Amino acid sequence: MKSSNSVKRNIIWHRRLGLSIFLLLIFLAISGFALNHSPALKLNKVSLSNSWLLSWYGLEKPLIQGFKLDDKWLYENGNNLLYVDTQAVAPCSPPLLSVAESPNILFALCADSVHLLTENGQLLESFSQLDGLPVNTRAISAADNSLYLITDSAVLEFNPDSLALQPAEIDSASLNALTAQLPVPESLEQQLENTGPSISLETVILDLHSGRFFGQFGVLVMDIVGLLICILSITGLFAWINRLRQIKQ
Amino acid sequence: MFNRLYNSLFNNLISKVVFTGLLTITLLASPQLSAKGVYQSGPDFIAEAFAPHQPEADVLWFNDNIRQQAEKILGHRVLGLRVRYHHSAGKSAWILNEIGKEMPITIGVVIDQGKISSVKILAYRESRGGEVRYPAYMAQYQGATLTDRYKLDKSIDGITGATLSVWAVNKVAALALYYHSQVMSQPESTK
Repeated sequence: MKSSNSVKRNIIWHRRLGLSIFLLLIFLAISGFALNHSPALKLNKVSLSNSWLLSWYGLEKPLIQGFKLDDKWLYENGNNLLYVDTQAVAPCSPPLLSVAESPNILFALCADSVHLLTENGQLLESFSQLDGLPVNTRAISAADNSLYLITDSAVLEFNPDSLALQPAEIDSASLNALTAQLPVPESLEQQLENTGPSISLETVILDLHSGRFFGQFGVLVMDIVGLLICILSITGLFAWINRLRQIKQ
Repeated sequence: MFNRLYNSLFNNLISKVVFTGLLTITLLASPQLSAKGVYQSGPDFIAEAFAPHQPEADVLWFNDNIRQQAEKILGHRVLGLRVRYHHSAGKSAWILNEIGKEMPITIGVVIDQGKISSVKILAYRESRGGEVRYPAYMAQYQGATLTDRYKLDKSIDGITGATLSVWAVNKVAALALYYHSQVMSQPESTK
């Protein structure tokens, strides 16, 4: 009689445990499978930048600022890329310090390089610190059909054809360099993809799988679920052994 | 006798394991092994490549054919409408960037009479795989030419742990040879 009660109790608890964690078990199986095949599924290439998710991870979408030249917006998108309106045109180490325009060519000065662009915003070529751009260049300005690079200590005339630099006898105060960024219009910002911080889908799945997504509480829940899985397998084994016994009797 | 031999071998093995472990830790911890850095500026590389002569600077404008072939060699989109180079008496020098694993590697290639005369890493931005910059490795590229299929005609030995950097250097070397062939085949007025 006692034995029959304990068998019943075992089966009842096995059912209760199974019912209470079966959704989590299915999720763990699917997420584990996805993580095991993450490179093939390219989960790390899927970037999520949903504002709710970013705020959950303590990240904020940066305010995108840039310069307006004629009818074009030039800005660094927060991911080290120089954009002209909605097109990524060149790598750009932030910040985008200054822009200028000479007939037919637009110039964008990033932290470590000057990018020469056509009027349509296509990249002509780049002139970097490795090519001879002074390290402390802080602005670029066009005046009197000439182009000037303003460094902390000097003004240099820049030849966009030969990319040669030579000292210029002009006061930097007399040059109207565009250095003050403006926030890009909201309508433009909405058209952009892959700007600002993002989180890979792999990270989110991994954090959900381990419970870290919900902080210490989530980890504790996953620990308990792990423990319950162990108990579930033991109660299942007992149920199977009892059933074998009953069949034999 | 057996015990003594066993002890001697065992002690020897232990000391070797400890030595190798300490050496590995020292090497891993050594800041000198960090490959990141600028090794030579572009102007210095050009001056060295043509010394004692002064080369001319020029640009190769991309037409559809050149762009298409360059993209085929690199396996991705080519940025820019033109590429700058220096040349003198059948010799040309190119400074090109190519992504290794995640960051661009700046590579200088000198081509003399259609053959690579030197390849140099000017700036390396990845934290691992910088072994490609060693002169002994770069010497492999000397004398390499371009095959009809736009590949290097020499087999270049790989480096364990720097596979992507090796591929990047191979691609840039082939691209510089291709650009060189294009500028040498163009009439002077169109360069």
